[in-house]
Amino acid sequence: MAVAAVHTSGGIADHIHPEPQGFIRRYVFSIDHKIIGIQYLITGFVFLVLAGLLAELIRVQLMNANGGFISPDTYNEIYTMHGSAMVWLVIIPIVTGGFGNFIFPLQLGARDVAFPWLNMLSFWMFPVAGLLLFSSFLLGAPVAGWTEYPPMSLQGGVGTSMWCVAIFLVGVSSTLTGMNFMVTILKMRAPGMTFTRMPLFVWAQLATAPLSMVATTALAAALAALFMERQFGIPFYDPARGGSPVLWQHMFWFYSHPAVYIMILPVFGIISEVLPTFARKPVFGYKLIAFSSVAIALAGFMVWAHHMFTSGLAPYLQLPFMILTFTIAVPTGVKIFSWMATLWGGKIHYTTALLFAVGFLALFTFGGVTGIFLAAVPFDLHAHGTYFIVGHFHYVLVGGSLMGIFAGMYYWFPKFSGRMLNETIGKWHFWLFFVGFNGTFLPMHWLGFLGMPRRVAEYDPQFQMWNRVESVSSFIMTFAILLFFINMFVSMRNGKKAGPNPWGGRTLEWMIPSPPHYYNFKNIPTVYALPYDFSEPLPYKGLEDELNDKPPAQLAGAHH
Amino acid sequence: MAVKQEAPVRVDRNFWIVTLVLALLSVAAVAYWMNAPVAKWLPAASDSAEDVDDLFRFMAASGSALMIYVLGYLLYFVIAFRAKKTDAPNAIGVQVHDNHTLEFWWTIVPAVFVVILSILSVKIWFGIQLQPSNGLVVEAIGHQWYYSFRAPGVNGEIPNEIHVPVNKQVTIDVTSTDVIHSFWIPQFRVKADMVPGLVNTIRFTPNTVGRYQIICAEFCGTQHGEMNKQYFVVDPPATFATWLKGWQIKNANVSDALPKAGSGAAIDLSKGVAASGQALFAQKCSSCHAIAAFDHKVVGPGLKGILSDPNHPNLVDGDPATAANIAVILQKGYTGPIGMMPNQSANGLSDGDIANLVAYLASLK
Repeated sequence: MAVAAVHTSGGIADHIHPEPQGFIRRYVFSIDHKIIGIQYLITGFVFLVLAGLLAELIRVQLMNANGGFISPDTYNEIYTMHGSAMVWLVIIPIVTGGFGNFIFPLQLGARDVAFPWLNMLSFWMFPVAGLLLFSSFLLGAPVAGWTEYPPMSLQGGVGTSMWCVAIFLVGVSSTLTGMNFMVTILKMRAPGMTFTRMPLFVWAQLATAPLSMVATTALAAALAALFMERQFGIPFYDPARGGSPVLWQHMFWFYSHPAVYIMILPVFGIISEVLPTFARKPVFGYKLIAFSSVAIALAGFMVWAHHMFTSGLAPYLQLPFMILTFTIAVPTGVKIFSWMATLWGGKIHYTTALLFAVGFLALFTFGGVTGIFLAAVPFDLHAHGTYFIVGHFHYVLVGGSLMGIFAGMYYWFPKFSGRMLNETIGKWHFWLFFVGFNGTFLPMHWLGFLGMPRRVAEYDPQFQMWNRVESVSSFIMTFAILLFFINMFVSMRNGKKAGPNPWGGRTLEWMIPSPPHYYNFKNIPTVYALPYDFSEPLPYKGLEDELNDKPPAQLAGAHH
Repeated sequence: MAVKQEAPVRVDRNFWIVTLVLALLSVAAVAYWMNAPVAKWLPAASDSAEDVDDLFRFMAASGSALMIYVLGYLLYFVIAFRAKKTDAPNAIGVQVHDNHTLEFWWTIVPAVFVVILSILSVKIWFGIQLQPSNGLVVEAIGHQWYYSFRAPGVNGEIPNEIHVPVNKQVTIDVTSTDVIHSFWIPQFRVKADMVPGLVNTIRFTPNTVGRYQIICAEFCGTQHGEMNKQYFVVDPPATFATWLKGWQIKNANVSDALPKAGSGAAIDLSKGVAASGQALFAQKCSSCHAIAAFDHKVVGPGLKGILSDPNHPNLVDGDPATAANIAVILQKGYTGPIGMMPNQSANGLSDGDIANLVAYLASLK
């Protein structure tokens, strides 16, 4: 029986490598995509704590209109590091390197990613970059915001050069990961897993990978030029010596707009897995959700200059960027409506993961709506550079990406660890976070509209009341995240045993033990249909031995 | 294995009731936003600011209608379709995969909305960005961390605040001398970045007399948060005329050196006036250069006796120390092992200024 199963799968990806021996090869310099995924998640969460504490310093400073808690220079270092760390050390690594690494090879029915050694290399660049970035505090951290516009960034201390190197490193890591994932998805799908049978989380990673590959290289070039100008005086950006500060803005946003989609597309994938599982329904409009991810990724390359409407673009150039940005609302709307329709007529189980997914829908939609406001040039000329923007992108990146990350954690933690997260703490986490989040970021929209610029260590006293509401709310949000970490620590040891499939999930990762064996599948399964039809039998063959004690046929043969 | 669903659940009466309630709520929201007293929250002091507010009202109206539907249906679905205790543990939802009619409409309706919003935005954009210039032109220059201004017929720069007449179009050309700043006046709903080496333009017609705070909205260093203490003052025409006349008289004898690009051609040094050069040196050069021996460096070398220093027969760029070669360095600037000096346009020197400076330096023995 087992022998027959081996013959039905086959292919180069079927070979099981020897099990790694020793602590270092298993858990430190591991080439197992699952261990690397966990490494990304842990490292990302460590940086989430650090960058979150920086955010709280910002909120404490802004309790008073005249600041006074920390000096303006320290404040500038702190908000710069908060933004840089949240984007490059928290969200991007968690949603691609973390969830991506652990989950999608399992969903593909693969034994690992295409290039496991490269995967290890990509991971190890990330903590090194993070340490380098945070150690810049010792030598004078960068101050010009995560966007580091020259000539301001040419004035910054030596920490700004360290920032260049650190971000360059995470960029290379991200580029390599994108390439690795793309090859894996294109070449290592289980037999029978055609593109239109792939789970939507895999589609989301497939749409993200080319963004990581292509856009990040533009950032690398911009960073290299900034570093050379700062260290060797080669003028790229300094107008006094023939450079152009706007050149940096073009190259930076040519990366950083697609980077928004690097941060949100994988989260779309998480939502597309969580909703059908807990509504006990097929995801509505599978093909439209899959293709709209690709459409959003492509369009994401053509809208970067909407960040630059006040920078001095030729006026006529503003129009195509404005209208192209508006059009992204169409595929994004299709996704949101499809997810809502997935809930209609379901049997909805109120798990914490489901709550976070529904919370995501509410908050991300709001962030999308304010995005339309900012895309309209006439309104952007007023709102650019104000707290309106700060409110908008936190709805997208915290209400969107971070809520999605929490949904993914409550959903897949049992697969990562073999144990369930505590649902009661989880629900406290959700509600406190949801309330704290809106209290923190909603008032920013009217503060910005009424005249409060961003990146200020002090502000007009008329805005003090709402800033205090924001600060107090942000403390609630931070407390909610603390609950999440407590939940993880407690549940890792004492959580309920999960078993292979605690949620009744239908994608391939739920067909194998939690946590999975290092080889993932004893036999590579064959796939017959999409996974989301709850009324149909599971569309897989060759999984009979996954949950029993028999060793994989390949290894059994080698031993006897 | 999950049980097969018997008959598919159809859209029931509750769905239509909810839809009706949400429709009423969104009509109310649209009605509110279309007439929202935006100018009461933040005065709109120009016609184009009122246009921007119209666009804002339209987006807020349609955005809140969308949010009401999304939040309303989410809440309704989550409550109405919750798994109940009475359900079998393996009960499943309605196994629908898609609905082409529905998908068609929720693609088309947003697409039509995008077209309408584009038309509206472009129309307002034309009024703001492409109105022909036919009024007053003033200049605002960003510095770390203040603004200075220039007005027609006034020599040199005006500190603190700039005045303009009411109901007359004003064009503000903005730039910066150091890093990127921004020139934002919320009551006019408009801003432009002040980019060194670039001139950006803001144009509008103020229609309300008043004093309007100018705010920097682009991070520019330590005191960025305090770069909001200066005012853009809209005066009745007579008051403005008096103000302008006052500055024209006050600044009559101030140098009007404009930061302009040098031609690169050799400068005629014969008309240089050492006394003018000395005044200019104090303004433009003395923060980096001392009138002292070469080795007395501030940022750049000391310049006393630059034409007659036996220890330094050549200038820092290696050319012989002659008056013409000093002029060349002033024109082109200098970058080399001992540092960097900005060029003529970055230093804001006219050809005449350079002739005066060279005359002054040559006079130091």
